[in-house]
Amino acid sequence: MSRTRSTTTALITLGVVSALSLSACASAAPASTATRVDGGTIVYGHQQEPACVFGGWIEQAYLSSQVLDGLVSLDENHQVVPWLADSWSVSDDQLTWTFTLKDGVTFTDGTPLTAAVVAYNFDYWLAGGNSTASVWLAGYYASAQAVDDRTLTVNLSAPYPRLADNLTQGYFGIQSQQALETRTDEENCEAPIGSGAFVVDHWNRGEEIVLVRNEDYTSPPANAKHTGVAYVDQIDWKFVADPTTRAASLSAGETDVIYDVPAVAWKTLESAGFQLEKYITPGRPQQLTFNTSSGPFVDEKVRQAFAYSLDRESLVETIGQGVIPYEGNGGVSQATPGYSQAAADLYNLDTDTADSLLDAAGWTGRDADGYRTKGGETLDVVLPYGAGSIVNADGASILQGLQEQAKATGFKVELIPVPQSALFAGEYSQPDEKDISVGYWTAVTSGILAINWRQGTPEAPNYNNASFTNYPELESIILEANSTLDTDAQNALYEKAQEYIAEHALAIGVYDRLSTLAVSPTLKDVWQENAQGGPIFYDAYFVE
Amino acid sequence: MPTLTRPRLRRIVEKIGGAVVVLFGAATAAFAAQAALPGDRATVILNIRAGQAIERTPAELAQINQQYGLQNPLVVQYLDYIRGLLVGDLGISYQQFKPVSEVILQQIGPTVALTLTAIALSWLIMIAWVTLTAGRTGRLAGAGAVVDTTAAGLPHYWLGIILLLVFSLGLGWFPVISGPSAIGIVLPALTLAIPLAGFMGQATRTEFERSLEQPFVISARMRGMGDTGVRLRHVLRHSVLPAITLSGWALGATISGAVVVETVFSRPGIGKVLVGAVNSQDLPVVTGIVILIAALYVVANLLVDVAYTLVDPRLKSA
Repeated sequence: MSRTRSTTTALITLGVVSALSLSACASAAPASTATRVDGGTIVYGHQQEPACVFGGWIEQAYLSSQVLDGLVSLDENHQVVPWLADSWSVSDDQLTWTFTLKDGVTFTDGTPLTAAVVAYNFDYWLAGGNSTASVWLAGYYASAQAVDDRTLTVNLSAPYPRLADNLTQGYFGIQSQQALETRTDEENCEAPIGSGAFVVDHWNRGEEIVLVRNEDYTSPPANAKHTGVAYVDQIDWKFVADPTTRAASLSAGETDVIYDVPAVAWKTLESAGFQLEKYITPGRPQQLTFNTSSGPFVDEKVRQAFAYSLDRESLVETIGQGVIPYEGNGGVSQATPGYSQAAADLYNLDTDTADSLLDAAGWTGRDADGYRTKGGETLDVVLPYGAGSIVNADGASILQGLQEQAKATGFKVELIPVPQSALFAGEYSQPDEKDISVGYWTAVTSGILAINWRQGTPEAPNYNNASFTNYPELESIILEANSTLDTDAQNALYEKAQEYIAEHALAIGVYDRLSTLAVSPTLKDVWQENAQGGPIFYDAYFVE
Repeated sequence: MPTLTRPRLRRIVEKIGGAVVVLFGAATAAFAAQAALPGDRATVILNIRAGQAIERTPAELAQINQQYGLQNPLVVQYLDYIRGLLVGDLGISYQQFKPVSEVILQQIGPTVALTLTAIALSWLIMIAWVTLTAGRTGRLAGAGAVVDTTAAGLPHYWLGIILLLVFSLGLGWFPVISGPSAIGIVLPALTLAIPLAGFMGQATRTEFERSLEQPFVISARMRGMGDTGVRLRHVLRHSVLPAITLSGWALGATISGAVVVETVFSRPGIGKVLVGAVNSQDLPVVTGIVILIAALYVVANLLVDVAYTLVDPRLKSA
């Protein structure tokens, strides 16, 4: 609610903000001969407060990556590089992965990092400790054992050559086994024990989490810009829910970095000298998946007609003000390896084709409002969306634009904003409740397709498949891709899967999910990690 | 003398009995409302922890149901809950893994400080403005009531953003992110106080203008008392009874206003916790805060009673 209103207010007050922020930071920019100063506190304004420092939310993964080291990291070329693991290898049958751990790493509770501890973490995730980590490994993970203190083997039930890529996500941060076993859930939730560059000092609920430098840090990822301990002493990770307040706090010098820069403040902050970072999250973009098990979209022609009746690109350009990127692909976003441009380009506005497809599907009548009818029934489609949680204010405007566009060819789109509590309680999760599902899912590889399109069985249902229909052919392409060792061959298969999704109009893309940062000119070397776009403060330092 | 006479004792017992009934009712209503919400609570707990909105497998749900006793019939859950309340146990938060009483204790301080500061500020603003403008002739008279009405209708969100832009960002007098600091309380409190002052001003102004025409005012004036003296020493005392009643109500109203203000000014507090808990259907936290707010209302009403007797001595014998 407050997001929607705040955007309006932000627009109204844009002039005030821009005038004020220009004057506020004119003196903040350091000279070009700026020198690095050690120490200091980074004040970071984040938008959402999670319940725990680790867990299955992307919000939690961002925090986890400051405190918990992962086995491996992803560099800017999308290559997996060492972190806690120095090296790794895969057996010829692709079923056994061997990780060799760095020597001499200790958790901040003093216990050593050993292969047995990492094996314990794998089992912990699968047993419910992290549902997102678990869904990535489900269907492939069999077991993990320590061969010796520094050698870990992970046994798979099917080949999964991109296992290491997936382990770069923040969900896979390694925690101290002693902490997991002996501390309460509450203690681990508020201050998990890892071997990371920072340690949770305390959490002022509703206000901030204070992270302090780990003075004994020895294990930065290979893609970090330096080694040793972090340059800054402390991070005040503040929760500033309101986007206008966030932008204003940066202009006023109260924060050094803010997350999720509002589109209306983008240009103002940029021209005032702030460093702006934009990261398109790989994985599933914001897209529409059609319910193909019941309702009008069971007919492929109707799905295609819907896709042809939209001009998604110009709508996203208009509302996104050049900040939000258009995404035509309904399978994965343009930032994802194995992305198919052909699938993204398949549908553009073509009302003639949409009309003839609807005619062919038998929706030949028109009611008094101009909506298509068939046998006296209106072409009515239900589109619920997570307002303020999964879809932000800009996203809601885009959906309203799509509703208008689809009306021209005779679709009556019922847009239903669903509050977070109802949505997470499972409202509109059933096939008879909706015709279109909206959502995104961050991921490192096109392996996300397997999570979204794997078939469900009564024994092992797949509720992540929003089409509600099993597509055995699609699934076999994706699973073959998942287990294909050669990257080019694998990507070709992933592309084939996206083209299958596009040709059969199972899902169409709308826009890409972004992680954005605005950084003060006095703070250097803040970067966004390459798996999910979270801010990394380990290399950051102040200049004067 | 504060001796416990029989009628007075009976009144205290009645008050306490009433308070218990109110608290019990609030607890029951909050439990019922949350239980009646669509959807399955174990699903919410899992989905919130993972940031997803999907159906969950029975195996996943069973674990959560077991952990929080959600597999029990609703009646059993309710009785467990009430039993907990009687021994002061508000339960464990589904999302934060810690006792609800701890969640509330950590957050109640900033909200109470904000609320009390806002009420105090609103009294200052209201008294100054009403004393200055009520019963005047000419332009000032018209402005008085118009300002009351306008102020009373100002939305917290809008007012907060304007104050923030002007006084924090423009003039730099106050921090943009208020946090729990003392200086940071001024703008959030003003945001709550200005509409409240307008609201109380409307009620007080009517009484004030009626009192100005009372015989005792005329006699005071005839004794040679100045206008300001009359207004402050005689009229004001007669006019503030409605505002005192409103203050009791305002305690609850400002707590709900705190939800918005805490977000705009990034202050910690119970309002923010409540929004988060409602969004995630964290039932123990929601019911805990509802009981707390009910308790505050009860206390506020008692205080209003006391204030009444102090301001209007005639009520002492009643």
